Amino acid sequence: MSTFAPQAAKRLRLSLPATTRQWTCRACAQQRAAFSSTSRSSEQQTTDRKSTRDEGTTHFGFSTVAESAKASRVGAVFSSVASSYDTMNDLMSLGIHRLWKDHFVRSLNPGIRPAFAPSGEPRGQKILDVAGGTGDIALRHLDHATNINRDSHTSVIISDINPDMLAEGQKRFKQSPYNRDGRVSFLEANAEDIHTIESNSIDLYTVAFGIRNFTHKDKALREAFRVLKPGGVFACLEFTPNLSNPVLNAIYKRWSFAAIPLIGQIVAADRDSYQYLVESIERFPTQREFMGMIKEAGFLIPGERGDGQEHVGWEDLSAGIAAIHKGVKPA
Amino acid sequence: MRNILRVPPTIRPLLLHASRAPYHSYEHVQPSPYREAEREILSAGLTHVPTHGFTHEALTTGAKDVGYLEVSTNLFPKGPFELVNYYLVTQRLGLKDRIQFPSEKMGVGARVRSLVLERLRANVDSGVQPRWQEALALMSLAENIPASLRELRDLSDEIWFLAGDTAVDSSWYTKRASLAGIYAATEVYQTTDQSADFRDTEEFLDRRLEGLRTVGSAMGNTMEWVGFQGGALVNLLRSKGVRI
Repeated sequence: MSTFAPQAAKRLRLSLPATTRQWTCRACAQQRAAFSSTSRSSEQQTTDRKSTRDEGTTHFGFSTVAESAKASRVGAVFSSVASSYDTMNDLMSLGIHRLWKDHFVRSLNPGIRPAFAPSGEPRGQKILDVAGGTGDIALRHLDHATNINRDSHTSVIISDINPDMLAEGQKRFKQSPYNRDGRVSFLEANAEDIHTIESNSIDLYTVAFGIRNFTHKDKALREAFRVLKPGGVFACLEFTPNLSNPVLNAIYKRWSFAAIPLIGQIVAADRDSYQYLVESIERFPTQREFMGMIKEAGFLIPGERGDGQEHVGWEDLSAGIAAIHKGVKPA
Repeated sequence: MRNILRVPPTIRPLLLHASRAPYHSYEHVQPSPYREAEREILSAGLTHVPTHGFTHEALTTGAKDVGYLEVSTNLFPKGPFELVNYYLVTQRLGLKDRIQFPSEKMGVGARVRSLVLERLRANVDSGVQPRWQEALALMSLAENIPASLRELRDLSDEIWFLAGDTAVDSSWYTKRASLAGIYAATEVYQTTDQSADFRDTEEFLDRRLEGLRTVGSAMGNTMEWVGFQGGALVNLLRSKGVRI
């Protein structure tokens, strides 16, 4: 942390005369766009309608880009933030992302207790952590399986489209015992097409704060459905575009549009990447829409009843800043 | 007028999907509240309750029995409580098939008694009675209380309906509330009953029903007395020239 201080001061001083005015205004403009249907967001809606008509474009934050360009633009964002990714997460979420991830993994309960592992069958679970570059979810999976369920056979495949993020994960796992036992492997692949993984081979597919950046979320969901074993679980931890409480939502939007790009500029010297991050949250479907997408891919939604009661197919975290979605592949 | 009465378009889909009627119907079969996969896993899980209790183990073993994986229990966000709830729902819906009333002469009170006993006998027949304290513990957890009370209310309503009660006055509510209380008390008593063939539970239930009858008639008499005295008071005041 102490190394950041001189760097940050330098960065701020360098950028102050030229861009101070400009970036405060831009932050204001983003907020206005986020809060109400001002000119900017209505403009955005018209581009949306245009983009649905001609199939070639998608959104990259608030801007519209060609579909083929999105993956590389996202790639550039994550390459530039890879080294400071975990520090930035702590600063942006005030450390709460750790609680979310802990809860996410604990609720999934990965690993098989020895009492349930019949001899003869291959033991342990195969977990695929998509967009899990820096390995923080994978490490939690393995810790939970080993320490809670006494399962030393469960293994995790960490898949990421970005080699820089995977390099961070490899660095993290270098000293861990899991690496020695071969319980963790790395795969550089696009989540919309993971043909290297065979169908019906995965017990648990997780994606935490990643699916937002996919160009074709439906394709990725269908691919998840393909690789999962019957009875396998798809689980996703992701931000939500809006909080249900309007007051909290207003405070939260202030924080995300004003503070997060600023923290990004000071700590990671990369304002644009974090600007993209908050904009992409804004463009992600709501919990209900996303639940519909998971259902469309063929999954059973937990907590949903046939009688029209209790339609809560997701779990909100921290008043709905993030949400956990799950789906079970029918056997 | 039709335009005023018409449902706003935004909530029309809600009405279409309201497949669960809040009343009893002879014409429409109620769809099961559980999906096929859930029904398979939970009913397989229930068969393991006598050995594992209402625990995650029972649920996991049940899932494995029907070809699912350990991790598939993520389908049930409330874990073991889903087993309890499934048991309660299926027993409530199955109650009408467990008992037939041959004679028309049997009174509503006697039918209620035999329905409650039949429902309690189901706990013994399905083998969950020795484990029922675990279920009661799960039901009393704060997050599960609303669902448990809803189920108790539905059971009480089901029993009065099957007993042929046709009350449409305010006793509709008091009957259901008092039976819910009696049923809950009797079920708790049953978990500690050591007597042969649960004779003590039956006697316990009879005492509660007798108490209800006494209190009910006392209540009725009191209300009648209050009503009479009230009328007399009004007449007295009128005779004194008060304009009421």
